[in-house]
Amino acid sequence: MSILIQSIVNGLNQGAIYALIALGYTMVYGILRMINFAHGDFIMVGAYTMFYTVPLMVSYGMPAWLAVVAAVAVCTAVGVLVERIAYKPVRNSGSISALITALAMSLFLENLAMVLFGGNPKTVTKIFDLPMIEVFGAKIQMKYLLTLGIGLAIMVALTLFVRMTKLGKAMRAVPQDREAATIVGINVDRIITITFAIGSALAAVAAMMYVSTYPRCTTDMGSMMGIKAFIAAVLGGIGVIPGAMLGGIIVGLIEILVKVYLAPGWYEAITYGILIVVLLIKPSGILGKNTGEKV
Amino acid sequence: MKKKMVSAMLVFAMTVSLGAMTAGAEEDQVIRVGAVCAMTGGSAVYGEGAQNAIDMAVEEINASDAEYKIEIINGGKVADDAKDAKQAVNAYNSLMAEEPEAIVGSFFSSVTLPMAELAADDNMLLLATGATNYQVTQIGPTIFRNCFIDPYQGKMAAAFAKDQGYTKAAIIYAKDDDYSNGLKDAFVESAEANGIEVVYVGECTTTDTDFTAQATQAVGSDADFVFYPCFLDTVPLLVQQVRDAGFEGAIMGGDGWDGADTTGLEDYFENCYFTNHYSSEDTAPAVQEFVSKYTEKYGSDSLNACAALYYDAMYMLEEAAVNGGGSDTASLVKGMTGMKFSGVAGDIYLDENGDAIKPVVVNTYEDGQIKWLKTIAPEE
Repeated sequence: MSILIQSIVNGLNQGAIYALIALGYTMVYGILRMINFAHGDFIMVGAYTMFYTVPLMVSYGMPAWLAVVAAVAVCTAVGVLVERIAYKPVRNSGSISALITALAMSLFLENLAMVLFGGNPKTVTKIFDLPMIEVFGAKIQMKYLLTLGIGLAIMVALTLFVRMTKLGKAMRAVPQDREAATIVGINVDRIITITFAIGSALAAVAAMMYVSTYPRCTTDMGSMMGIKAFIAAVLGGIGVIPGAMLGGIIVGLIEILVKVYLAPGWYEAITYGILIVVLLIKPSGILGKNTGEKV
Repeated sequence: MKKKMVSAMLVFAMTVSLGAMTAGAEEDQVIRVGAVCAMTGGSAVYGEGAQNAIDMAVEEINASDAEYKIEIINGGKVADDAKDAKQAVNAYNSLMAEEPEAIVGSFFSSVTLPMAELAADDNMLLLATGATNYQVTQIGPTIFRNCFIDPYQGKMAAAFAKDQGYTKAAIIYAKDDDYSNGLKDAFVESAEANGIEVVYVGECTTTDTDFTAQATQAVGSDADFVFYPCFLDTVPLLVQQVRDAGFEGAIMGGDGWDGADTTGLEDYFENCYFTNHYSSEDTAPAVQEFVSKYTEKYGSDSLNACAALYYDAMYMLEEAAVNGGGSDTASLVKGMTGMKFSGVAGDIYLDENGDAIKPVVVNTYEDGQIKWLKTIAPEE
């Protein structure tokens, strides 16, 4: 019994991290209809920033989590730069060009990190010193609850932002009809830049929660996590903000429960298998709207 | 008649060229060596140690009055296998293009196995360093290694667990890694003889970062000893997650743990152990001399067992050339077979398979620092 509870807690934690990353994917996809494969590598950039800034914060007597401010700044800068330099020039060249550019950007960032930080994995100093509580014999790290809480809070905030604010309205208008949006006075370039800035800032927060659970950064950490989060986003319905959260939690839970109760070596195969099944039954994802092609 | 003439001429030409070739090899007193190790990726710290140790050994040998000198091909650089079988084959092929007389490496079983297959076909001398999977030297008579083999390490871990009074062991191993499988099998095999019950066997992969599922089950199985025969990059993650799951017993690994980063996890690493090829704290003069020379030149960050084994490998090749009477591959193989060698990583005897029979070191941690616990001499 306690193993089940413990596994659910572990799964929720891992799922919340996937969800945080998936939120960034979904934001960008929702506005641009483009899959930013370099998003996972923004996490890597955030994690390395944390690696360098956490000890600084600690040595100045400030709480370690404040390092996330630096990570947000660096990630946002990288995200906006990548968009301006790499994605903008190919924006009108079709989705294949955008996809290839994103993959190239991902490889570029990984190799750049290899040059800058070296090939050795780095261990990030402990960020949160939170207690552990015991519920029915299951040990629950408070930082797990924090990850989940932050994920939910960001999800709610993003949903409200997109629904309620004027900027959010403009964001929703851009994917509907880019030209019409321009006609009514929306600066499409600016909206896209802001989208990337938000997505990359989310990556920094995701990086903080990731390194607080798995305190290690490697230059290739983004690729695998990026794929998992991408699956989460697609599973929940890509472009739908609560869908990313739901998809992340589902992927996290499946992975842990499969490892514990089915076949530990098969967890990735089973995760991908479930993705295929869901896409066969509901191609737009669990929360995705089934919108027919406009005639 | 004409045909006979032609074949006679051909035979003559071949004999002459063969003679020229052996003459050429005998004339130079330089052993051309190619080296392979992981220079990038999660285990890059091993490659760093290997490169430094090779530079150091070659410089020493070439400055001394040793009968044979060593030249590292590929411009003196260790070729990168990135701990990946495909890249290792590429590294091997690129080294072979420069016609080496011996190849040293690699440190990992999974990448050395395919290299050994190629070396056996090419009749190339391959001196593996940390590749402890038992199959490595079975592949051909030109394959040697200067480390112990997995069954031995797994056996020693089980014996150590018994020695410390543990009775219930949980194993978490990487299913996709030859090394990890080898140690796991050996541990399971010798557990019973040591009165240890294996209560849980969990699988993971070498790229996993999440071990919470396995940790929960290991704790749930009531184990007092966790065996994790995997590589350094995931060791801190595993130790942290197993301890966070409430495990208080001993956690042990093999030589793959050497160099694991314990920063910020000093408390977690209490009561953790690993077997290794050598310890820098060993008081033997050869070890202390190596340690002080190395630290002075390169600091102690990359001073791991990998460095010691590549260092020894260079001296072993020189000795093999002396024993075999030449710097060509055939003489080196002849000189290497059955060699007795005394180096930094202890007194080695190469048995009929080309495996090293040598002592094993058990290390523990104190404040996150590796601490030598004891050295166990090989069984007779």
